[in-house]
Amino acid sequence: MDDGVSTLVEMIGISKSYGGVRACREVDLTLRAGEVHALLGENGAGKSTLMKVLSGDVTDHTGEIRVGGRPVRFAAPVDAQRVGIAMIHQELDLVPGLSVAENIFLGREPRTRLRTVDRRAMNTITRGLLDRCGVRLDPRRPVGELRTGEQQLVTIAKALSLDAKVLIMDEPTSALSPVEVEQMFTVITELRREGAGIVYISHRMDEIGRIADRATVLRNGAVVEQFDARDLTAEKAAEAMVGRPVQAMFRTRTVEPGEEVLRVTDLVVTPRRERSGRREPDGISLNVRRGEIVGVGGLLGSGRTELLETLFGAGPPGTTRGEILFRGEPHRPRHPRRSLAAGMAFVPEDRRIAGLALDHSVLANTVLSIVDRIATAGVVPRAREAGKVREVVADLRVKLGSVTDPVGTLSGGNQQKVVFGRMLLTEPALLLLDEPTRGVDVGAKAEIYALLGRAAEQGIGVLLASSELAELVGVCDRVIVLSGGRSVRELDTRHAGEADLLAASMGEGGTAMAVETGAGAKERAPSGLRGARRRASAEHATREDGA
Amino acid sequence: MSLSTQDTETKAGRRDVVASLFRFQSLFGLVAVFLVAVIFSPRHDGELLFLNSDNLFNVVRAVSEIGIMAVGMTFVILVGGIDLSVGAVLGLAAVGSAVLMVESDFGVAAAVVIVLVIGVVFGFLQGVASAVFGIQAFIVTLAGMQVARGLARMWSGGQGVPIAYGDGPGQAPVTFSLLGERTFNGLVPIPALIFAVVAVVAIVFLRTSAFSRHVYAIGGNEKAARLSGVPVTRVKVIVFCIAGGLAALAGIVHAGQLNQGSPNDGFGYELDAIAAVVIGGTSLMGGHGTVTGTVAGALLLGVLNNLLGLHGVDPNVQLLVKGLVIVVAAGLQRLRPTT
Repeated sequence: MDDGVSTLVEMIGISKSYGGVRACREVDLTLRAGEVHALLGENGAGKSTLMKVLSGDVTDHTGEIRVGGRPVRFAAPVDAQRVGIAMIHQELDLVPGLSVAENIFLGREPRTRLRTVDRRAMNTITRGLLDRCGVRLDPRRPVGELRTGEQQLVTIAKALSLDAKVLIMDEPTSALSPVEVEQMFTVITELRREGAGIVYISHRMDEIGRIADRATVLRNGAVVEQFDARDLTAEKAAEAMVGRPVQAMFRTRTVEPGEEVLRVTDLVVTPRRERSGRREPDGISLNVRRGEIVGVGGLLGSGRTELLETLFGAGPPGTTRGEILFRGEPHRPRHPRRSLAAGMAFVPEDRRIAGLALDHSVLANTVLSIVDRIATAGVVPRAREAGKVREVVADLRVKLGSVTDPVGTLSGGNQQKVVFGRMLLTEPALLLLDEPTRGVDVGAKAEIYALLGRAAEQGIGVLLASSELAELVGVCDRVIVLSGGRSVRELDTRHAGEADLLAASMGEGGTAMAVETGAGAKERAPSGLRGARRRASAEHATREDGA
Repeated sequence: MSLSTQDTETKAGRRDVVASLFRFQSLFGLVAVFLVAVIFSPRHDGELLFLNSDNLFNVVRAVSEIGIMAVGMTFVILVGGIDLSVGAVLGLAAVGSAVLMVESDFGVAAAVVIVLVIGVVFGFLQGVASAVFGIQAFIVTLAGMQVARGLARMWSGGQGVPIAYGDGPGQAPVTFSLLGERTFNGLVPIPALIFAVVAVVAIVFLRTSAFSRHVYAIGGNEKAARLSGVPVTRVKVIVFCIAGGLAALAGIVHAGQLNQGSPNDGFGYELDAIAAVVIGGTSLMGGHGTVTGTVAGALLLGVLNNLLGLHGVDPNVQLLVKGLVIVVAAGLQRLRPTT
């Protein structure tokens, strides 16, 4: 306290190569107690490698790590955990079939005197940990039933249970709704007060400005700049990351919308089988015109993804009520194949799970949706195929070595472009996008926005679901706000800002929220709602408090 | 600096070499086993028994049936499935061929067509059960294996049906006996020729067709394939039809070679077919693999079997050796460079 703060971790001259690629070169990084240290850089800049070194995941590096002033050498992640360093991975490493408590204590379950697993102790401790994170979750619930946001908080609780002094968070908010982000910031603030140090990797500038103390920017594996987070602006950061000035992030509208391409009236879906964690459309009306980008906003669990999946025919089987007019014709969503043939394309939320065969080539992934269209007598014409791929690679500026490389070797942004390109090759009239910039760095993000703008200019209607307020406000012409599977508001982004959007999402006036009561709704209610709603308007908190 | 560049270059070069080694793993394995077979072949009057034309004839003939089935199996495994019923379907087809020609007086063409249709329909039903109703392929085809075996026993009355050739009633047309013959001046056994045709067609088909892209895509990421407009259900059903049809073809060949159709024919063949596919480098997870590999895998198993047989190795020990070879081949896959 007297002469500054104590240093938790020092990384000195860390270098690491993969084959011929130098992922980290001579990186120095210090982390002080009670500090949130943001780590910035484009995908492939070396952030993840550096953090893998710190968490004991990568061990064949050069350079030195000191923890509490003492040099350490990790042979495995366990060693790092032992000195209090825990990593929260971008890909959550939880076992879906096990309960929250079982996941947190995986491999170190408390035992009773009879050496059996002491479930009671496990659940009690877990409840305490979850309370510290401000989540109310039943420790006995299987993790697979939780939404991504809740799972994220479970991993944080797990790190807390390890008594971590140093927490490495790799894009912790990428799957969280604004309210859940707030909640996590509360947790981070709490941890920081307890003297923990946090390395925070994120692509979201606004978050970094809010919670980080310092920021280090990596480019091509080396530190290019260190900022005091208070002085950091998005432009400065982007410039340091990319190494050149970046053009404006969001588009300006250039085309007047044309004819209506999609009209949805009172869409209600009753799934044949209830699935936990899903919020099927329950009264959605909206329209999209050609050349228009319409946003779909709302909290996590408000039914954004489910709406897009329903329209595309990718949802679980069930009955649909209401009317969907696509290009003026009634559209019965039955199978993605039919929707694609009709001119509707879909970029799913998680490209690793639903978008790409990661170990197949860029080429095979890119042309997948059109191979049978361009085939003559069932045979794929190689030249034509290669031409299509070249087209996509050039148009979308996909950075790659060779089109025969596995698509999994590309950076996140470039992978996303491949999914995008595949859909554009189908020449759609309507593009459905679910979180198209999740886990994508600033540079690629700007490119994807530009791409969206170009698609709109060509007369494609775009329906864009996103949890990022800035994205919805910055990119879309209008935003449809969903709550509990209903469309509750429509905002014109020329007049409305992020605050309006957030207020609408949380059910300002409570109209949308209060309508829904009952056990089913309670089960799926996003936990993040709780705190925010308390803040927003206490008298409308009917959903959870009802049971 | 220049040193390190050179270093990375040689490293990259070495990786390429390793990658291509693995790419043609089964072919190298085949060559290696062939050489081993030649070297360790028992001799008789200074002649290598392994290279004796009659012996080689035996090898390819024995390989043909498993090979034809394994080609179908490759398709199923490429979409991430498995077909345990092919051995039993082979038995059913062998019985069918014999009964149709000997007892029901069908001509060769009619009998062959009917038996092939039976195989395809059998595969179709399994495909529907697995792809449409979402029952795991392992379970569906495990059940299918019992059903096919049961049908074969019922149809044959539980006994082998011998095939006699001639024009009279109760005799099969002589043409069918061609399946036991050789062609091209007695150099190529007909079954091997059929196998070769099947393999070549499959190789070309897998390399060029839009359908095969769908097959690989489903094995690579089924959800992504569905969202990309691949008719996943249809492709899976078709793939099972291919496996069923080829198993039936193998059964016809079997009946022709042995001049009988027994309901117990093809017992355990499904495992040999799977082994050939796996040795050939096809991933059981789906999405990766080639028919070329499968052909090499089938030949490798055949040569190995033959060599052990020539040496009069105890059949139980033979099983043991075969098991080891499969594990080693699968283990080698794990060393494959990931990029």
